[in-house]
Amino acid sequence: MKDSLKYNLRVIFVLTFISLICGFILSFVFNSAKAKIKENQKKDIYRAIYQIVDDCKNVEEKSINEETIYWLFNDKGELIGYAYLSQGQGYQGKIKILFAIDKSMERLLGIEIIENVETPGLGSRINEESFKSQFKNLKTNVPVECVKFFPQKKNQIQAITSATISSRAVVGILNKGIQNLKSLIEENDR
Amino acid sequence: MKELVLIFISTVLINNFVLTYFLGICPFLGVSGRLSSAIGMGFSVIFVMTFASSIVWLIYHLILVKLNLVFLEYIVFILVIASLVQIVEMFVRKYSPSLYQALGIYLPLITTNCAILGCALFMVARNYNFLEAVVYGFSAGLGFTVVLLVMAGIREDLNYCEVPKVFRGAPITLITAGLLALCFMGFSGLIRA
Amino acid sequence: MIGRIFKEGLWTNHPIFRQLLGMCPTLAVTTTVLNGISMGLAVIFVLFFSSLVVSLLRKVVPHQVRIAVYTIIIATFVTIVDIFLKANFPQISKALGPYVPLIIVNCIILGRCEAFASKNRLSLALLDALVMGGGFFWGLVTLASVREILGQGTILGYKILPPSFNPLIVMVLPPGAFLVLGTLVAIMNRLERIK
Repeated sequence: MKDSLKYNLRVIFVLTFISLICGFILSFVFNSAKAKIKENQKKDIYRAIYQIVDDCKNVEEKSINEETIYWLFNDKGELIGYAYLSQGQGYQGKIKILFAIDKSMERLLGIEIIENVETPGLGSRINEESFKSQFKNLKTNVPVECVKFFPQKKNQIQAITSATISSRAVVGILNKGIQNLKSLIEENDR
Repeated sequence: MKELVLIFISTVLINNFVLTYFLGICPFLGVSGRLSSAIGMGFSVIFVMTFASSIVWLIYHLILVKLNLVFLEYIVFILVIASLVQIVEMFVRKYSPSLYQALGIYLPLITTNCAILGCALFMVARNYNFLEAVVYGFSAGLGFTVVLLVMAGIREDLNYCEVPKVFRGAPITLITAGLLALCFMGFSGLIRA
Repeated sequence: MIGRIFKEGLWTNHPIFRQLLGMCPTLAVTTTVLNGISMGLAVIFVLFFSSLVVSLLRKVVPHQVRIAVYTIIIATFVTIVDIFLKANFPQISKALGPYVPLIIVNCIILGRCEAFASKNRLSLALLDALVMGGGFFWGLVTLASVREILGQGTILGYKILPPSFNPLIVMVLPPGAFLVLGTLVAIMNRLERIK
């Protein structure tokens, strides 16, 4: 009786002790690395913003409804547009897109693919300039459409051959992002 | 409702846990030899995965996020899953001996089944709400079971074929899985984005 | 003893090709050699330090809960690797994705802790960890090389096949992983029989 009690106590003690030590070690490691992880994420986003919008010289972050929106300013300090990170499911995994719209919120300035794990050589071609440049100067008041052959109407872009799903995913994520961004900014202005 | 159906179809067929994400391969190779064991394993996995999804979701959103302890998620998830499997096993053994007979041996194996941890991690990464998480867990288990049953059927037939000596056992199973994965790729056009 | 450890870990009891353990990451991350190397190093790290702690604690841990304790220890080291990659090599972290935390349930690590580290002194346990890890590493790199060369025509990003070669995309997709691994295991079987 006594031995089994001693044994059980020992079990609980060892488990708790080890869990506590591990917890402490992890919180230490996490705290020392936390800053760097955030910085890495920021670096990608800022690099993408400067790539899409040439005249952008300064970026300010604002948080609305727990979401981050990037206010873009030129060298004279004038507001030239907004940028937003939208994400969703692609063919193989998550796709993260950074896009920018002009300050009238009617024109799409461009997109950059921040993160993707699509099929190399096929879906990952969404990262190519030829695909991304199709998005420059599209209108934001109607949804962007993805078609397989030559775009017939305005606001249509052509999917990448053999990567229809990845291309459609990008367009879907973009449209959703544009809607989100617009409603967040309207809420902020109210 | 439409969201749930989409999650269901995409997890069972399109992004099948075994054939697309390579989760659950160990039991997949080990247990798919006979149809009877495959059925047993499949049911336990569906059972545990649905349960695990729900409980992990609750713990993640109600405890880890609220207390800012998200970096402990791996440790907490695996402990929760291991304890859950332990509890489920005790429960089943006590209250349904017949069910225990059918599932029994496979339950402990499920703990190291990457599929459960993978399911928990994916569900958290995709920000599902509670109902979506439960459906996701169920569909993942079902997807695993479907593929397991198909493999078991094929392997039972393979027993009557003359497989070259070096390919017997694991190699032919892996190659069959590869062909099966190729077939399942055909489902990827099923849902329009 | 030492000779046996080397021979087993690297060949006769190879974690991937003979024991058929740790398949999930093997099939998933070997799309490029770089990913294979990264995953291999991560596994060696976790295996080494987990074996270290398990071997040091082997007389202290009660038998009933040893698996739970090993799991906590392994999970801690995996989280450390994950945080390290996210902070210092974000590209690799994104490429390996969810398969880094899945190292926790990699049967190789738990298997070695249970079968070897918990029963042997520190120096042997560490050696076994390095050798098994090394075996896993060369297995990954071999599989990754085949898949990257046939699937993209490159190794580590460098084009080594002429542009006229039409890459077999299926090699970098899931079916290709299964097919190549199955063939490699068959080749290993053949080599084993020649001996």
